[in-house]
Amino acid sequence: MMKKELGLFLLLAVISAITGAINPAFLSFVNLLNMANLIGLFGVFALGEGLVIITGGIDLSLGSMFALLGVVFIDLLTTYQVPWPFALLLVLMGGLALGGIQGFLITRLKMQPFIVTLCGLLIYRGAARYYTSDSTRGFGYGDEASTLSNIASGNVAGIPNTFIFLIILAVILGVLLHRSVYGRWLYAVGKNEEAARFSGIRTNLVIATAYVISGGLAGVSTVLFVFYTNSVSPSSFGNFYELYAIAAAVLGGCSLRGGEGSILGIVLGTALLQVLQNLVNILGIPNSLNFAVMGTVILIGVLADQQLQARRRRKAALAGLARTAPKSKEPTIRQSASPHGAAALPTSAGDQA
Amino acid sequence: MVTPHDAGLAVLELKGIGKEFGAIRALHGVDLRVSPGEVVGLMGDNGAGKSTLVKIIAGNFPPTHGEIRFDGKPVHFVRPIDARTVGIEVVYQDLALADNLTAAANVFLGRELKRKLGPFALLDHKAMAARALELFGELRSETRPHDLVKQMSGGQRQAVAIARTRLSNAKLVMMDEPTAAISVRQVEQVLSLIHRLKEQGVAVMLISHRMPDVFAVCDRVVVMRRGEKRADKAIGDTSPEEVTSLITGAKEAA
Repeated sequence: MMKKELGLFLLLAVISAITGAINPAFLSFVNLLNMANLIGLFGVFALGEGLVIITGGIDLSLGSMFALLGVVFIDLLTTYQVPWPFALLLVLMGGLALGGIQGFLITRLKMQPFIVTLCGLLIYRGAARYYTSDSTRGFGYGDEASTLSNIASGNVAGIPNTFIFLIILAVILGVLLHRSVYGRWLYAVGKNEEAARFSGIRTNLVIATAYVISGGLAGVSTVLFVFYTNSVSPSSFGNFYELYAIAAAVLGGCSLRGGEGSILGIVLGTALLQVLQNLVNILGIPNSLNFAVMGTVILIGVLADQQLQARRRRKAALAGLARTAPKSKEPTIRQSASPHGAAALPTSAGDQA
Repeated sequence: MVTPHDAGLAVLELKGIGKEFGAIRALHGVDLRVSPGEVVGLMGDNGAGKSTLVKIIAGNFPPTHGEIRFDGKPVHFVRPIDARTVGIEVVYQDLALADNLTAAANVFLGRELKRKLGPFALLDHKAMAARALELFGELRSETRPHDLVKQMSGGQRQAVAIARTRLSNAKLVMMDEPTAAISVRQVEQVLSLIHRLKEQGVAVMLISHRMPDVFAVCDRVVVMRRGEKRADKAIGDTSPEEVTSLITGAKEAA
């Protein structure tokens, strides 16, 4: 599994080097920090989306969740003058609750994730627009939540806090996914839910938890985005953001069929997406081509990955043939074959962080 | 060889098991005893009630009538986990393995070994790999713990599935068509795995369509037809021809 991440990292480095060579402004400190901020903003909820995708599901509702939670959050702080710790808590709980409802519908009522979260996308957006009568909500002149604002959009020694949040959350979720029993179950459920159930795993709980985590991270992202933009226009805030998350996860090695992916991959995928957006600006490519560039790179990336995997499989099959050909059962044979086999079979999901 | 009915303690005892799905009667009045270390072949045509019987014993759903006794005690299974807790394991036809995980991960799926790190419990990869290697050794299988299951042959996959049952020290292992989808050479491997289980005093129920396999490893054969048990004979007292006629209904009962 590390091979995929390494490839992605190299791709990221090569693209950055080329862009930097064409226009050194790309590698300027200001631009790098700006990118780090965006990577942090878009990475946090991509992590949640990644977990959901590993279960074999999908969460399309994230962008609309940002809008709904965002207008509620600002309203709590400005109109109702709720102290910011409570407002923060309520928004996080709101995200967890929305994720919980979706998880319930998907696991208990056996609805398809695509449908449930698509309806979530429509409902939350509609609710946000109705709640605000389609008017933009923002902070007044008072400093309703300057402390929280400083935490969410400030920086430590120049490094944007959003990026630091992303790293902290990635480490926590990395341990959860790659080192804990829950993570192991998540992979098993994503690949073969029936097998997991027969193994005594409460698959519904495992899957629903992924949606709850995704919802909770959406709550965190909402707060970060609100303080990034300082206002929420309910009809456009967070539009299409779920697609950024899906793209980052897929680019990072998550399979939409479930059971594959890693936290490091998702973070690198997010970074690559933001670098692509940035280089469109920096290289003076017409901004309208933004999405087209992203789409092309994802398409090529996934295609290349599939081809490489197929080649690796053929190699492994050949190695397997070579292994069984001399029909000897001495352990020495096994030992000598083992490193070869290990090199040919690098993808052991869940075993590496 | 343990003869079927004189063995003192049956590990599994079914009395009058019946199951109805609405108006459909899937099982009726099935009695069955299985002793430790005994290999019982369960045969029958499609729809004869084999799978229903296996699912009842495995705790997938409760019987409508009858009583299940395990190790001498009456048991009531609500969920599969209940059956596993007392020591019943099922090796499913499609093997129910997670392809994206390693052999060791599959052996321990749902029962992972953990090591404490402060308040957190993390996976203990090393211990699991070592124990899995031990289990594969006991089964005389060359499966390597770190290999991904998706890259394994049918025989190796069976070894992984059977190693799972050894991990929990199951007293009864039910195998659903273990030899259906694998090559001839691997059939040998699987049959020898069944012998290993028998050696260790594990009772095995082999659900199979393949007559040669049943006659190669089983001590006793039970034939189901139309939801009822039509025969229950020591393997030495019957023949493939008789069993075939019992399955098809050419012979009503024996």
